[in-house]
Amino acid sequence: MREFVVPKTDTKTLGEVRLAYAFQLRARFDPPHLSDTPKGEFRYQDITSGDVRGERLEAAVYADSGGQYDTVRADRVRDVDAHFILKAKNGEWIYVEHVGYRRTDGYYRAIAYIDADAKGAYDWLNNTTFVVTAKESADEREVVFYYYAAN
Amino acid sequence: MSDKVERPEPDATDSPASRGGLDRRAFLEGASATAAIALGGIGLSARAAAAAGTGPGSNTVGAHTKDSPIAWYGGPDSDIPKVGLRWAFSATVFFADRIMISSPTPRGYTSVGGGEIWGPRLQGRVLPASGADYYKGSFSTYYMFQATDGALIFIHNRGTMRRFQGHPEPGKAPVPASNPPEPGTPVWTRFRATPVFTAPAGPHDWMNRTVFVANAQRQDHPDHTVFTYYEVI
Repeated sequence: MREFVVPKTDTKTLGEVRLAYAFQLRARFDPPHLSDTPKGEFRYQDITSGDVRGERLEAAVYADSGGQYDTVRADRVRDVDAHFILKAKNGEWIYVEHVGYRRTDGYYRAIAYIDADAKGAYDWLNNTTFVVTAKESADEREVVFYYYAAN
Repeated sequence: MSDKVERPEPDATDSPASRGGLDRRAFLEGASATAAIALGGIGLSARAAAAAGTGPGSNTVGAHTKDSPIAWYGGPDSDIPKVGLRWAFSATVFFADRIMISSPTPRGYTSVGGGEIWGPRLQGRVLPASGADYYKGSFSTYYMFQATDGALIFIHNRGTMRRFQGHPEPGKAPVPASNPPEPGTPVWTRFRATPVFTAPAGPHDWMNRTVFVANAQRQDHPDHTVFTYYEVI
């Protein structure tokens, strides 16, 4: 291991993050296809429909554009890995990626990374970090994701 | 084929001075303190740092302290679930090499020299020379923390940066700045990082099942970034 002397600085202050609610996405999925893997129980769920509602974004889920690729770990925590494509009301395409955790205590949080047309109406999504809280239906076929911009 | 270059996306608000080509030796020799730079959220700083017994003027870094308060955020309708943020810890990370590889989509390499971790829920250091940022369109950084109990914690940190015409007012969307920003106009840089940690079983296990979001502030003299990590509640 290398040596390192931490330089003295006067920058040891706290930076702020403020959340601003942005939109919600209600998505429908096929039932999970489960498989045992060395990493845990892998769950594939195809995304079949859905819609986005918000002041600055109205969009529909593009059917079969992806889904959930989660893994249930040995500690029963689900590693969330969801990717799919949206088609906005004006026809523009939007990519959404979620990384997070769904726990047995009901905690279902993720970070969403979104790509949109930089010259289009939804450029504000680019390079915006979204904090997501989600609710899953009892039959695991529907998830509502709530997105907050981390300003 | 590679060249020493400036960082791919220099931060207009907190890099008033030019960036030098610091090498690892510069860290071993130590470096002088930077000029005072005002950061966003000073009010929060003072309050949270006081609550945690850390921060400027405190010598209690490393001590176990109480959790800091939770800030809750909601939507316009009451059926939108609220989300809380709570300061978990901070990391001051010092960088060494800055290299750009001119691949079809340019790949940056910014090596981590070392640093320290301070705050209510984790204390320790950045394991020296344990990784780097491998920028490609956005930041993607891999290195190691070492907690005061010796635990090695892997951090994969993704980051995004964007400049706006000033800090957004509550309820209003920030307005993107022109690229490059007009000289002399105020610019607010939003630099956010989202780490995924892999921690050993034991006292740090909570990091394996918690979503985090961080405020990141670039600083000069020497080249470092201060990350304020919030756990998403």
